[in-house]
Amino acid sequence: MSYWEAFILTLISLVIGGFIYGLERIVRARMQGRVGPPLLQPFYDFFKLMDKRSIIIHSFHAFMGVMYLIGTWFALFVLLSGGDLLIAIFFHVLSLAFLVVGGFSVRSPYSVIGAMRELLHMVAYEPLYVLSAAALYLVTGTFQVSGILHSNHTPLFYLPLLFVAVLLSLPAILKKSPFDTAEAHQEIIGGPEIEYSGKFYEAVYTAKWIEYIYAFFFIFLFAGGNHILGALLVIFSFFFFNLLDNVTARVNFRQMVAFHWYILIPLAVINLMLIALWRS
Amino acid sequence: MDFKSFRKKSPWILHYNTGSCNGCDIEILACLAPKYDIERFGALNRGNPKQSDILIVTGPVTKRAKERLLRLYLEMPEPKVVVAVGACACSGGVFRHMYNVENGVDKVIPVDVYVPGCAARPEAIIDGVIKALEILEKKGKEVELPRWCSVEVKPPVNRVKLLNRCLEELHGRRRG
Repeated sequence: MSYWEAFILTLISLVIGGFIYGLERIVRARMQGRVGPPLLQPFYDFFKLMDKRSIIIHSFHAFMGVMYLIGTWFALFVLLSGGDLLIAIFFHVLSLAFLVVGGFSVRSPYSVIGAMRELLHMVAYEPLYVLSAAALYLVTGTFQVSGILHSNHTPLFYLPLLFVAVLLSLPAILKKSPFDTAEAHQEIIGGPEIEYSGKFYEAVYTAKWIEYIYAFFFIFLFAGGNHILGALLVIFSFFFFNLLDNVTARVNFRQMVAFHWYILIPLAVINLMLIALWRS
Repeated sequence: MDFKSFRKKSPWILHYNTGSCNGCDIEILACLAPKYDIERFGALNRGNPKQSDILIVTGPVTKRAKERLLRLYLEMPEPKVVVAVGACACSGGVFRHMYNVENGVDKVIPVDVYVPGCAARPEAIIDGVIKALEILEKKGKEVELPRWCSVEVKPPVNRVKLLNRCLEELHGRRRG
């Protein structure tokens, strides 16, 4: 894919992410026996927030909100343009760092608590993504996304344990129950995003749509060159994490980090070691 | 482009209890539950004043709650509307003229829609919210202050100073 196509696709990804979020809200409502909002609801929210007056705490805080959007967008662009997987991961970490710094820069205690928990989220799930990048390299022989997408191997068959680990940590990256301690709407009212309003909240809100595509693109990569299998994996993981979101309660941050470090990361490492042994 | 028509499609709700008996609050929660499900209309209970459009207030506004009520109201960005839900919030209800209450929400902040009832039924609350959305669509974006408040608003608005001046006046004010 050329850079221009990737650029246009990255711009469109905002709309696709909005649809995914709208679909998620409907699916979640149906699972709870409700009707749920219309599919276009995220866009209604988007245009309404455009019209709201924005209250700026201080300019740096507002700037960090916008940088969070740009950072996630750039991480997605790296993925879609077939760039290096590790660079995409690091840009994603950077964009979350913007959110965290913004969260720490205001005096609201909820914002500070949320930013701290956001850091713990990163501690929990980021190693898993780096490990999966390494594992994809071992299977396909390249860190380039374009190479992985055209590879003859299907990484899923070599990395089943790692796939399960990434699937179970999806709620952590998308901040859904059971791993939604950073956002925790009933408890700390959105965490680092609590002080954003109007257009700046809109930036944070749309950045979350882009994170959906970012996370699901990772799932898609596990199918390698087999794109139909990839689409099936994405659809399965979408419904799976919605189900998980609905049937589980929030765990505290210790349990979240412990679950990632004692169960998911060892699973991933075992898979990685087996594949390395088998290859040599 | 005119975004005003999108206001009524995504009303985000902030709910505050100013010393109510919890009857009205339960009914508001019933609106969000599967039977009435106001998320069909895009309404979400945000619990965050900075991202909400509709302030739903229950209770007769006790002495302790009035400062918080004013803070929440001034922290909400414009355009915004206030819905007073229940007999207490409209007029003080059974608590009217007691030493510790303010006799209704409109003694502290401007109210757009009154929903009577003890407790107000979910249908009545939904109706009130729909009425509030009609008002919200016509509202401008200038800063609104309570009637008793004599603070002048000059753009650019410094919200912290505005809030502090309003609070000073609230505490200095005699009960009328």
